[in-house]
Amino acid sequence: MRFRAQVTNANLLLRVVQCIEKLSKNAMLKLTQDKLHIIVLTDMDSGLQLWSDVVAVALFSEYRVESLHNNEIYLEFNIENLQRALRSAQGAQRVTLKLTKKQNLPVLSLVIKNMSGTGREMTLNQDVPVRVLTPDQVSAIMEPQVPTGPVHIMMPPLNSVRSITERLKLMGDRVTIAANREGQVTMRVANDRVEITTYFRGLQNMTHESSAESLSQADRPSHEFYTATVDMKNFTRFLQSYHIAPKNIVCCILEHRALVFYVYIGSTSMFGDTGVDNLNDQTCGSLTYYIPVRQV
Amino acid sequence: MLRSIHFQNRTTCAINSGGIVFTVEEASSTVAQAYLRTDLFAAFNFNNTIAKEQNQAQGIEPAADEENGEDGEDTVYVVLPLDILLDCLTLFYGPTSGASGGGSTQGLLSGGNPMDLRGATTAHVAFNGIGTDFELMLEERGVISVCRMATFVPESSVDLDFSGSPVIQQLIIRSEWLRDAFNELDPTSETVGISMAPQAPFFSISTTGDNGSTEMTYSKDERILDSFFCSEEQENRYKLAQILRCKHALSLSDKTKIRVNQRGFLSFQFMIPTDADVSFVNFLFAPQILSE
Repeated sequence: MRFRAQVTNANLLLRVVQCIEKLSKNAMLKLTQDKLHIIVLTDMDSGLQLWSDVVAVALFSEYRVESLHNNEIYLEFNIENLQRALRSAQGAQRVTLKLTKKQNLPVLSLVIKNMSGTGREMTLNQDVPVRVLTPDQVSAIMEPQVPTGPVHIMMPPLNSVRSITERLKLMGDRVTIAANREGQVTMRVANDRVEITTYFRGLQNMTHESSAESLSQADRPSHEFYTATVDMKNFTRFLQSYHIAPKNIVCCILEHRALVFYVYIGSTSMFGDTGVDNLNDQTCGSLTYYIPVRQV
Repeated sequence: MLRSIHFQNRTTCAINSGGIVFTVEEASSTVAQAYLRTDLFAAFNFNNTIAKEQNQAQGIEPAADEENGEDGEDTVYVVLPLDILLDCLTLFYGPTSGASGGGSTQGLLSGGNPMDLRGATTAHVAFNGIGTDFELMLEERGVISVCRMATFVPESSVDLDFSGSPVIQQLIIRSEWLRDAFNELDPTSETVGISMAPQAPFFSISTTGDNGSTEMTYSKDERILDSFFCSEEQENRYKLAQILRCKHALSLSDKTKIRVNQRGFLSFQFMIPTDADVSFVNFLFAPQILSE
C-alpha cells in the first residue's frame, strides 16, 4: 500500500476540510487513481451524509496511489488533526503528503518545506494518525443511491441563505425547503409563536437527460412545489460549505425521503462563473450532502 | 427605536391614524414608549371604520383627545412579542449583527405600509384586528420574507398618570452630557438621586455605592442645559437598574427633556433624529418611597 503526492493546492485542500470540520469528529479519506474522496457519516441512520470528491490534479502533482485492493486506499482520520496540519502547510514552498508508519502506526505525513529568510531550508513534519480500513469495512460503506428527483434547482447565493438561516434557526429546530420547476425556492420555519417564510425567485431549474422518465412520474404542474422538512442542525451543516466559496449549488428534493445538495467546487474557487452552462467546465469536484427528511 | 425599549418581551401596540405607539412596562414602576408618527412611513393606511367596529364589539370606548377637544378616534390595541419582532426586522442583516447592530432601525408596524430600513430592506406590515396574526413582510434585493406572529390580547396596563400632577421641574439637556453622567453612575448603588433646585446647584445626579458616593452637578449654563425650569426644590430617588434601561434610547438621541412632577414621577423624553424630523422615545419612572 503506497500513497505519495506533492500538494500543489494546499489552500483548496484546507478549505474542503474546513467545510467538514463541524460535521463530525472523524471522516474517511478514499484515495483512487484519479480522485480524492472525503466521506463523512453522522448519526448512522437519521443523520446527514457528505460524499465529496476532487480530481487529484486539482490538488496534487506526482500523485501515486497503489494498493492490493483495486489501487484504492481507505483511511479514517480525525478531522481536526488534518485541519491543523493543513493550516501549517499554507503558503509553504513545497508540501508532500504521504502515507507512512511512525512508531509502527499508520500516519498521513505532511512534510512542509520552507526557505527561511537567511536562505536555509526549514522542514516541518505534521503527522496525522489514521486507521486503514479493511476491505470488509470498506464494503459496508456505500454512497446513497437516490433516484433522479422531480425537481433540480440552482440555489440562491449561499451568503443570502446563510444570513437568513442565522435568524431562522432561532425560531425552530426544523426547516422546510420547497422548490418548483419555475425557478422558485422557499424556506419556512415555524414555532408556536411565529412563522417565517422566505421566497426566492428567478432561480434556474436544471433538466437532466434522464429527466424524461422522471417527468412521467412527476405528476404536478410546474408551478407547484415539492417540499422536504429536515432538521435545522443538518441544514446549517450543509451551509458550512461556504468555505469553498461555491458559485453553483444544486438542490434536489425527494419528497418524504431526502434533500440533496450538490455543491460544486470550482477549479479556481474564487473565480467560478454562475449558471448551469458553466458547471462542467469549471468544476474540479463536488460536495454532495444527503440530508434525510425528518420523519414525524 | 424598538431596540431602545426592548427590556421586556411583550409590547403593547396602539395603532391609530396618528401613528403607532409601542409601550413596554416593567414592575408597574417603569413605562417606556416609542412613538412612530405616520410621517415616518412611506405609506400608512389605517381604517378607522373597521377599528371602530372592532372596538365597539369589545366594548372599548374611544379615547378622548385632550388637545383638540374632539371626540377621540378609535385606537387599536394589540400585544406583540417584541423579541420576535426585532428578530424578524433584522432578518436580512447577516450573521454578524447581534444585539449591537442595527443602530437607528426605524420601527414599522401599522396597517399596511412599506417602509425603508437602512436603505436595503423594505418592510410592509399588516394587521387585521384582534385575534388575527400580525404580518410583517420584508423585502431585500428580490428576496421576500413573510413573518406571521401570534398576537396577544392586551391586559390592563399600569397608568403612571404623569400629567395628573403638575410639573415642578423641567430641563432640556444635550444628551452627550447625560451620557457622560450615566457612565459615571456607581453600579453598586441601588438607587440614583435626581434633584433640582431654583438656586445652585441647579441640577444634580447622585449615587451611593459600596465605594463611596458620587454627585454630578450641572449649572444653568446654556451650553449644557438648553432650558431650565424649577418651581420647587425636590430630590427624588429611583431604582438605578430601572433608570439604566434607557441607555440605548439615550445613545440614539440628540437631546433629552427631563421632567419631574409634584409626586416625584420622573419623565425622560429622548429626541431622536430620524428621516422625518424628530421622533420620541419616552421613559416614565415611579420614585422610590423612602420610609422615614
